[in-house]
Amino acid sequence: MITTNKNIFSLKPSEGLQQRLHIDFPLFLAFLAIFMISLTAIYSASDSNIDVVINQGIKILISISAMLVVAQFSPLSYARIGPWLYFLCLVLLILVLVIGETRNGATRWLNIGITSFQPSELMKIAMPLMIARYIARGALPPDVSSVALSITIVLIPSYLIMQEPDLGTSILIAFSGLVVIFLSGLKKRYLAIAFTLFLAYLPFMWSSIHPFQKKRVLSFLNPESDPLGSGYHLIQSKIAIGSGGLFGKGWLNSTQGQLDFLPERTTDFIFAILAEEFGFLGVSLLIGIYLFIIGRGIMIAINAQDLFSRLLASSISLTFFVYVFVNIAMTTGLLPVVGVPLPLISSGGTSMVTIMIGLGMLISVQTHRRLVEK
Amino acid sequence: MEFKSDATQETEKRIFLSRILFSISLISLLVILILLRLVQLQIFDSDKYKLRSMNNTIRTHSLPATRGLIYDRNNQILAENQPVFQLEMIPEQIKDIELTLNGLIQLGLINEKKLETIKDNISKNYQFKSIVLNNRLTERQMAVFANNRTGFKGIDIKARLSRHYPKKEIMAHALGYVGTISSMDYSVFDPSLYTGQEQVGKTSIERDYERLLHGKPGNEEVLVNVRGRVMDSLGKKPFAPGNDLILTIDTKLQEIAYEAMKDRKGAVVGIDPSNGEILILVSTPSYDPNLLSRGMTILEYKAIEANEDKPLFNRAIAGQYPPGSVIKPMLGLAGLHLGFVDPTKYEPCDGAFFLPNYSRPFNDWRTHGPVNLKEAIQASCDVYFYKTAIKMGIENMSDFLSKFNLGTTTEIDIGQEKAGVVPNPSWKKNNFKSKENQSWYKGETVIAGIGQGYMLTTPLQLAFATSMIANKGKSYKPHLVKGITDSSLSKTEYIEPVMVNHFDDIDQNHWEIIHMGMKAVINQKGGTAYGMFDNNYPLAGKTGSSQIYSIEKTRGKDVPENFKDHGLFIGFAPPDNPKIALAIIVENGISGRTAAAPVAKKILDVFLEK
Repeated sequence: MITTNKNIFSLKPSEGLQQRLHIDFPLFLAFLAIFMISLTAIYSASDSNIDVVINQGIKILISISAMLVVAQFSPLSYARIGPWLYFLCLVLLILVLVIGETRNGATRWLNIGITSFQPSELMKIAMPLMIARYIARGALPPDVSSVALSITIVLIPSYLIMQEPDLGTSILIAFSGLVVIFLSGLKKRYLAIAFTLFLAYLPFMWSSIHPFQKKRVLSFLNPESDPLGSGYHLIQSKIAIGSGGLFGKGWLNSTQGQLDFLPERTTDFIFAILAEEFGFLGVSLLIGIYLFIIGRGIMIAINAQDLFSRLLASSISLTFFVYVFVNIAMTTGLLPVVGVPLPLISSGGTSMVTIMIGLGMLISVQTHRRLVEK
Repeated sequence: MEFKSDATQETEKRIFLSRILFSISLISLLVILILLRLVQLQIFDSDKYKLRSMNNTIRTHSLPATRGLIYDRNNQILAENQPVFQLEMIPEQIKDIELTLNGLIQLGLINEKKLETIKDNISKNYQFKSIVLNNRLTERQMAVFANNRTGFKGIDIKARLSRHYPKKEIMAHALGYVGTISSMDYSVFDPSLYTGQEQVGKTSIERDYERLLHGKPGNEEVLVNVRGRVMDSLGKKPFAPGNDLILTIDTKLQEIAYEAMKDRKGAVVGIDPSNGEILILVSTPSYDPNLLSRGMTILEYKAIEANEDKPLFNRAIAGQYPPGSVIKPMLGLAGLHLGFVDPTKYEPCDGAFFLPNYSRPFNDWRTHGPVNLKEAIQASCDVYFYKTAIKMGIENMSDFLSKFNLGTTTEIDIGQEKAGVVPNPSWKKNNFKSKENQSWYKGETVIAGIGQGYMLTTPLQLAFATSMIANKGKSYKPHLVKGITDSSLSKTEYIEPVMVNHFDDIDQNHWEIIHMGMKAVINQKGGTAYGMFDNNYPLAGKTGSSQIYSIEKTRGKDVPENFKDHGLFIGFAPPDNPKIALAIIVENGISGRTAAAPVAKKILDVFLEK
């Protein structure tokens, strides 16, 4: 059984140039394709503003560089710095709540003199490292106390980030940790208990989240109830996607975007622009590329040589999938608008750099495999 | 990392792999969910969203059609579209709106009273939309602005078309005017033709030929952004201009008639008996239609409406007056035709007529002595016609007068026409409530003989009837539009006159006798209009005066102005080849001879010279 599976999922370790430079060519090509799509979409969504495109291009170059650098170090070194990074992030997250910068009613930024950044972004990297390191230290499946401690490790930063408030990031970071616990072989009944607890927690969460977040959820449930208010994003996004049809309106022909109907179209709603201009076929291709990246990530995880690498690689891959899923589900009205960018495509922010750092670690796992003799 | 045995590692791998497989299935499920959602949005519901996307971004701007022009019969322009210049501002281009507005007030370009309204408009509209500051700049104001425009960025002059009536009061009742569209208008006219437009014909030609004059608006599809700003034009459908109208009116005659009538209340209608074309249609007092189409305030309009003399009321087609003695030629003809009158026979007139069982006499306006029919018309002998009426009876009279189209509308091509009344017993029965009032009295027949009592006619009806007399029966329906020019084809279609003749069976000699009587009115001693015209004036006519109050009381000198008799005159010229049939009513003019006949003379002096 296992051997057959192994055959299906077996992945040759990187060889030659790939191993020496710590580059995974298939993933690298997929990234380049995605970045091309990103620049194309942003040019259109920004009303052909070349400055925005150049800005994005610079961020892409930084992200690729970060990925290449990160891939040079072995997974072992990441396992070592994991806890340190995690605790540093916790301190920064607390600092955010105390002396953070407030923009648009959310306190997410920390000013460090030259620039301000979001510690929650850093936590996106720290969380899988920390939790994979913690779980991998013991035997699988983890015992009750390990699970309890793991969950605590996950929930503390999630709670802090939710206070900023940043519900989307909070949920995604929690997911990147919880997925590791799940993969570690948590017993099914614990899963059932956790799920029940989560459901019980929902009403409490509802009362603790911010009014504007409530509004988003409500408008998700019935966007037409407030077409010019909180339901507006979703309605305009659906119009953009739906009007794209099978083949799309063509590049730069997005009326929803070019004429300003769709807000946040270079960031959270860029998928709607792509769907409007390139249609169902275009976005299917995009989803295909994403699935290739995720699939290869999972293969890297399966073929990883140690538990830490395996958990790290799978957490990164599955979290990446969740990013993609949440964003597309949100713009198509399957999920409430939670403000998650489309990974590697949406403009701006540190999110691209952090994602690429994560993917760099994935490549590190792949390119640091020793050719194991059987 | 702690050391782990191979066995442990294998177990861990197995657990991990099973969880990964579970995750992969979950991923597959979610991907399928997303793909299904995309199929739903982009394939099944795509048309719906395409429509909504278009509705989002495409606006149709109406391009109003230019209204058709109106000319008189000699191609003189009567209604045109003039550019007016308005001052507009685009708020987003102005740094300090308050300062700019105050500056414009100081230059006298904005009415200070309108400042609040302007500010209100600015705050309620998009910043890129232009706001009207003054909707009609005078030439002086335009010059002032031209000299100061450098100081006013974002302020501009824009032209629009506005209806203009160069003949002002003179043509008002014939043309009517355009005014702001009301919800009532929308129930008559197709609202889709009026998008982006503010004006519609309100009365007369402007109203009744609205559909032809209006044209079809075009439209321009434009791409707008989320704030409604126009980004691009997607295509234009040009408007179809309205049709031009050529009226039957002769401006020169109309001007003379108006000039003669302008200080009085009354009406003049002149018809060409050979085709029914209305040459003159004047009703006084009149109004300046330019003021109305410019957009009056409700107060200004109410003031006009409340005016005692009713300048908006079209007396020519809707004023109903007792015809008085001008009915005599028609009744004389009735008597001849029906055999109740012998034209050679002289009837005595001693100034009054008595009916058995009536205590009061029916007075004549003077004692005429014995007169025959021709002389009775010439000198307007009441007693002769009292007797004729009694001989004929009311039914015969009303039947015959109906042939002159009295008591029914002439179906002139403008609305609001009144039908008048030709009374008879059945009319009385239908129009009075109490039993007592419903029965017909013989005395009522008597006074009907001189066009008094219940009988009512409009000036238009009298002119139409006169044209029948002029042509000895044959006539044409009165109409104001002579031709319609389709401006896109530049082709004019002329209106065929509609002939009417209810007098086929009348002896030519009978017509001759009536004509002789009417010619004698003008040109023979004892004629009621004798001396009012030059000798041997080519005109046949009849004067009349109609009482608004009872006969005795209104013939004194110290009667209040509005109780005085109306003066009437009908006539046709030249008698042997009639080119015009006239009806003139001067309200409270006392006598047809002194009040109405001079108006006819002024018109005919010019008309006959041609």
